[in-house]
Order: sequence, then C-alpha cells, then structure tokens
Amino acid sequence: MRDSSLQNSIQSCRPKYFGRAVLFLLPWIALAIAPTALLAATLTATLDRDTVAVGEGATLTLVFEGGAPKNPPPLPRLQNLRVTYSGQSSQFSWVNGQSTSTVTHTYVLTPVQPGDFSIPPIMVDVDGKTLSSPAILLKAVRAAAAQPDAAGAESQLALLKLVLPKKQIYVGEIIPIELQLYVRDSVQNIQQFQMSPFNADGLAFGKTVQGGQRQARIGNASFSVVPFQAALMAVKTGTLKLEPVDFSMVMVLPVSGRQRDPFDPFGMFQRGDQRRATLSTEAATVEVLPLPDGAPAEFSGAVGNFSLNLTAAPTEVAVGDPITIKAQITGRGALDAVTLPVPATWQDFKTYPPNSKVQATDALGLQGTKHFELVAVPQNAEIKQLPPLVFTFFDPEQKAYRTLTQPAIAIQVRPGATSASGSLVGSKTETPPPAQDIVTIKLRPSRSGGASRPLITRPLFWAVQSLPVLAWVTLLVRRRRAESLANNPRLRRQRQVAQFVTQSLKDLQTHAEEKNSADFFALVFRLLQEQLGERLDLPASSITEAVVEERLQPRGLPAPMLARLHELFQACNLARYAPVKSTQELKAFIPRIETALREMQEMKS
Amino acid sequence: MKRLALILILAGASAGDLFAADSRAAFDAANRLYGQGKFAEAAASYEKIIQSGAASPAVQFNLGNAWFKAGQFGHAIAAYRRAEQATPRDPDVRANLQFARKQVGGNLSVTPGLAQRTLGRMTLNEWTLLAAVALWSWLVLLALGQWRPAWRRGLQSYVLLTGLATAVLGSAVAADWAVNHSPKTAVVIVAEAVVRQGPLDEAPAAFTAKDGAELTVLDERDDWLQVGGNPQRTGWVKRAAVTVL
Repeated sequence: MRDSSLQNSIQSCRPKYFGRAVLFLLPWIALAIAPTALLAATLTATLDRDTVAVGEGATLTLVFEGGAPKNPPPLPRLQNLRVTYSGQSSQFSWVNGQSTSTVTHTYVLTPVQPGDFSIPPIMVDVDGKTLSSPAILLKAVRAAAAQPDAAGAESQLALLKLVLPKKQIYVGEIIPIELQLYVRDSVQNIQQFQMSPFNADGLAFGKTVQGGQRQARIGNASFSVVPFQAALMAVKTGTLKLEPVDFSMVMVLPVSGRQRDPFDPFGMFQRGDQRRATLSTEAATVEVLPLPDGAPAEFSGAVGNFSLNLTAAPTEVAVGDPITIKAQITGRGALDAVTLPVPATWQDFKTYPPNSKVQATDALGLQGTKHFELVAVPQNAEIKQLPPLVFTFFDPEQKAYRTLTQPAIAIQVRPGATSASGSLVGSKTETPPPAQDIVTIKLRPSRSGGASRPLITRPLFWAVQSLPVLAWVTLLVRRRRAESLANNPRLRRQRQVAQFVTQSLKDLQTHAEEKNSADFFALVFRLLQEQLGERLDLPASSITEAVVEERLQPRGLPAPMLARLHELFQACNLARYAPVKSTQELKAFIPRIETALREMQEMKS
Repeated sequence: MKRLALILILAGASAGDLFAADSRAAFDAANRLYGQGKFAEAAASYEKIIQSGAASPAVQFNLGNAWFKAGQFGHAIAAYRRAEQATPRDPDVRANLQFARKQVGGNLSVTPGLAQRTLGRMTLNEWTLLAAVALWSWLVLLALGQWRPAWRRGLQSYVLLTGLATAVLGSAVAADWAVNHSPKTAVVIVAEAVVRQGPLDEAPAAFTAKDGAELTVLDERDDWLQVGGNPQRTGWVKRAAVTVL
C-alpha cells in the first residue's frame, strides 16, 4: 500500500520547516443553512495523542456532524485525570449543493498520576437520538521515565504498533483496529512506503483508512503518530491469529549543520540523509466467541447495537394496491449483513424481498443506517393493520439478544379489483411467480371488444349518433310549422281547402259512379265556393256566380278561366232542375273541375 | 325466406363459435409454451392470434410477458401499452408496464398529470360511450320539449344537466384522443436505436434511444419517423427500430 498523502502529512507537521501557524479558513456561512443534511447525526471522539507525561495535557476532541447538543457534553469523572473544557467551534460547509454542519467540543485531559486511563463511551442525546463514542485509552507515564513496554523505543526513529480495542469478540461482531506508525520528530520526511494488507484466517477486513495525525510521547521522545484504521469482522469462531503487518519506507533525516551547503544556508534545497527502514507488528490473536444459545426465532444474524424506525404509505388502499414500507435500521455493526425478515404474521400480504441501501456515517462503515424499502400488497379487505415488524440482534456489549418491535400500523383496505394472476392451464407443476417479477400471464382470453378500433373512427357510430339529432330536428321543424300555422289563419284555411279539394275530387268520382247527380253538383258548387272563398279571402257561403263578374274579372284573369267558372256555376244551377245525368256525363265534368281548381289555386290571393 | 335467414344466422353463429374455439385453443397453446419457458415461441404464438383478428387485452398482456421473459423489453412495453389502452384499470397490466419500464430505466420521468390520470381511468371507447349516452339523453329531452312544448319548463334543468354532461364528456373524448391517440408513440425494439438529425443514413446522430424507450412520433417520411425524446430532443429514427402504438 502506498500513500503520498502520508508523506505530505508527515512533512506538514515538521515544526522545524513548517512551523508557521496553520491558518484555519473561516468557513462560509452558507446563504441558507438549509437542509443541514438529511443524514443522521454522528459523533466521533479523538485524542491528539495516546500517551502523555504526568501533568501534560492531551486534547480530546468530540466532533458532532449533522446535529449537536445544546450544551457541552459532560465527560465521565475519572480518578487521577483532570478534565478541562477548552471550548467549542462550529463549521459549515456547502458541497455539491448539500450543507453540513460540524460542531466541535474540545477538552484537555491532564493525568495527575501515571497509569492507563480508559475513557468510557460518551453518550450524548442529539435530537432525541443517543449518540455514543467508542471507549478511548490514554496512557500517562512519569516524565523522563522510560515506558516499560517500549524499551528502547526512544532510540528508534520509527516503530509500528497494532492496536486492537478488544481481544475477545463475538462471531459477526465488527470492531475497528488501528495500525499506528510512530515517526520521531527528528525525521524530516518519509518516502516510498509500502504496507502489507491485514491478513488473518477467519477474519474479514474492510478498507484501510488513514486517520488524523497526532503527537505521542514515549519516554522523553516525541513522535508523530500516523494511524491506519480498518474494520475487522469475525466470520468464524476460535482463537484466530492476526498475521504481522509489514511496513517499509525510506526516512529522510536532516543533514548535520557542518555539512550544510554554503549556498543553501537554510537547507531549503537539501535532500537530507535517506535511510530505508522495514517495520513489522507483532502477531496478535483474537478470541472469537460463538453467539450464545437461545437466539429468538426472528434472529437473522445481526450483531451490533441498532435501532429500528418504520413508516408505511399509503395507509388507505384497495385490495391489490401496494403499500410501501420504509424501514431504517440505524446503529453500530455489520450493516451490510443486516436483513429484514418478513414475519409470518404478514401472511395476508403479498410481499417482495426488500430493496436496501446502506448509508455509513463513518469512514470505516462501522455505523450508519441501512434503509429498506418493502412492498406489501394486501390480499383481502378484512385487513385492518400492518402487523408489528420485529427485528432481533445480538448486542456484544450487553452480551444478550435484543428484540426491537415496531407497533402495528393501522391501515384501511377497501375491496378493489383483484389481481388475477393464476397458474397455467395444463401446467402440472404450479409454481408461484418469482419474487420481484412481472405478474404472470392471464389464463382466459378476454373479450376482444376492448382492443378494437375506437368508436369515433367508425362511420356506423356516427350514423347511430345522428338518429337523435334527426329526431330532434324533425320535431323542431314540426313544432315550428305548427306554430306558424296557428298564427296564420289564411295559410291554415289554404291548407284546409287544399285538403278538402283533394278529398272532394275523390268523392266526385264516387258520386259519378253512383250517378248521384245531386250530390255530385252540390259538391262541385261547394268546391268552387271553398276555393274561391279562400283565394278571395271571403266566406265560402258568400261565393256565387256573381263573384266572377264582380271580383275576378276586375283582376284581369284570363277569359277562358272566367268562362269555365261561369260554365261550372251554371251547370250546378241547372242540375238542381235537371238532375239526371249519366256516369259518363258526370265524369266528363271532373277534368274541367280539376282545371278550374288548378287555375284558381294559381291565382294570386 | 324466413328459413333461409335462420340458416344463415345459425351458420354465422357456428362459424363464430368455431373461430372463438380456435382462438381459445391457440391461446392455451401459447400459454403452455410460456409455461415451458419457451418465451420466444410463446410470443410468436400470441402474435399469430393477434394477426388472426382475435386480439384481446389478455393476449396483449401475455404477449408482453412473453417478450419480457425473452429479454425484449421494447416489444414487451409496446404490448403492455396496447393492453393498457384496452384495459386501463387492470392492475396487472399497470404493474407489469411499470416493472418493464423500471427494467429499461426509462420513461419513469413521464409522470402523468391529473388530467391524464383521469382520462386514463377509462378507455377511449368507454369515454365515447358515456358521451354518447349523455348526447342521446340530451337530444331526447330536447326532442320531448319539441314534441310536448308544455313539458319544456319541467325538463329545463335536465336539459341543462345533460347538455353540460355532453359537453364535458365530449371534451374528455377529444382530450383522450388528443393525448393518447393522436400523437402516436413509438417504442424502441432494438438494443440501441440511433436517432439522427435528418431522415438519412448519413445524417449525424442526434442521440441514441435504448430498447424500451418510448418516443413521441412527430412526423413520418418514407422509412423514417421523426420522434421526440425527453427532454425536448427530436430526431429521425428508422421505422424498423421501433414499433408504433
């Protein structure tokens, strides 16, 4: 493993060459302190050194990201360790449109007696959630006294240590391990370093992350410590050996003052003395314990410390409609391995394996939130609630199984269209559709009407639609005509006369056949009266032969017409005295009558 | 004469039954192929049923399933869309269409608005029939008013109501036609369709559309279709690369 950033960080810490105070850029207060990250709040605790001399202070830094307590969190009281609160700083950052806020509380820990101090996990309530930091170790040594476990360390330029927070873990438990590279302050620089990977049978390691550099003291010697951290998870039980980690590098040592170039009095262009060094950690062992017996039935292998949150929407659905259930399991542990088993009490729902996403809140992936999205489809309308969801895990700190239960969520399921997804006809092995798959085929061919041509593109449809239009238009015209007739007596009389004429001409034929001369000529006379009366707008009873002279002649009507009318009137008069006529004679009158009537109808009224 | 008519009617009915029986047998045979995992063959059988004139929403749905299982997402989406047009309230069709769209990772951004969702609750023919019923009711009431003018006052509110219903439902028919039928949709059925800036093979590529992408057809020219992608990308694609709904 090579990392140039390490080289830069070692260089940057040399007070000899980079002794200037580091100016901290004041963060821009974001224009909108808007959505301060929708991520969960996190807490990290670091010491700037892990070994101090008695009376010397070590700085403990608590960093809250995404949320912070209102007051400085109190630290637990430890015997022979003086704790002084040094202050608070805040920082806002805006990256890619997302803002994050960081609040840092610093404390100075000053031991008054030599010894090992274990600062227990610091529990802080932030926005209703309890954040905790891992336990931190601080070693205090007597000033100017050599450390018993670092004999000869003072004389070394660099050394390598592997730190395991605990030697006994449970299978499935995930812990951080740290490889610490100690480099004496007198070393100007290190180059070309390589690190062998962590290796152990039965242990799995996460990615290696370089931590923040700090200072440490071993005896009277001062070292810069560069930590490399990784997550370790036990996958099998037993006493497992962690193979030594090798670290090789080239150290650059400053040249002595006598060798300095006279043209470079400040040593700015000096390359220094280069010395290759190979370091190794000692082999370490970890005892991996099996999980204790008596695991609850719902236990699915999660080891750590978690909390469960659950939401479901919509809660008012029809049978067959999906309900999306979102569950968040937050905490410390192997989140990748956490599963969300659907309990057997959900048999009234059709469920699919949930989608999941892990959102780590630290670089090692030791803690964070695993988001599950589960779709449940209610199968009947009798369902009143989503049954409680149960999540069980083993807590290695408490050495016990813990079960989290989310209460049932009330839902309303109304009857709806059923999802007909039967099995194949003729298929002897009826298997349910695979999860997260399409709904299977339909077994009955539905009517083809639905897939047919749109009605509005069919002429027949429009023809049928025209029927009520036609009916309405017909009735409209009929009513209009009736109203028009009612308001026009002359027109009404004209229609009545026309109707009378039509009927009377038929009656004349009958009378002629029957040789009924009296009725025949009486009807002819009446016809003349009605038609002339209508044309002249006179009562029919007032029409006589005299009208021809008095009313028609002044109008300049053709003489043959007048003569024909005279003739018809006179024939009618004559028939009163000589009524007997033959059928032929009577029938011979009819064309003349028709002609006279037609001429009268054509006459202007 | 009556006897001849009866014979003709019976002959027509039995021919229809035979046709239905044949279709049912073909449908069951295609389902069996599907059940045996022969998805491409099943798809071909469903296509045959559709070509024979016995297309139904169930056949289109099963065809979509067969194409989906055969890995032809574009064909599957097209079949589901046709089934959806015929049975818009079928939850299975909606679920599978949604699932297929998720598989191709496309068109989920096309979220239908309230109007489109409302129109999509019924088929165009259902809207049309509703509008026709409203039209008939309105015109019958109008005709009654002409026939018996004395009833007109009593019918006035009903005439107004049915007239309003006719106008609204008629507008729905027009809108549904305009939204869902007038601008045709082309579904890409090849792995990657090159949409060019002009209807020529030599024209530079405007963008590419993957299998299952749904594009709006804007124009047609010979073997080319002008399509609109999302967002506001237009170009010309070969007819062979898409199926038009």
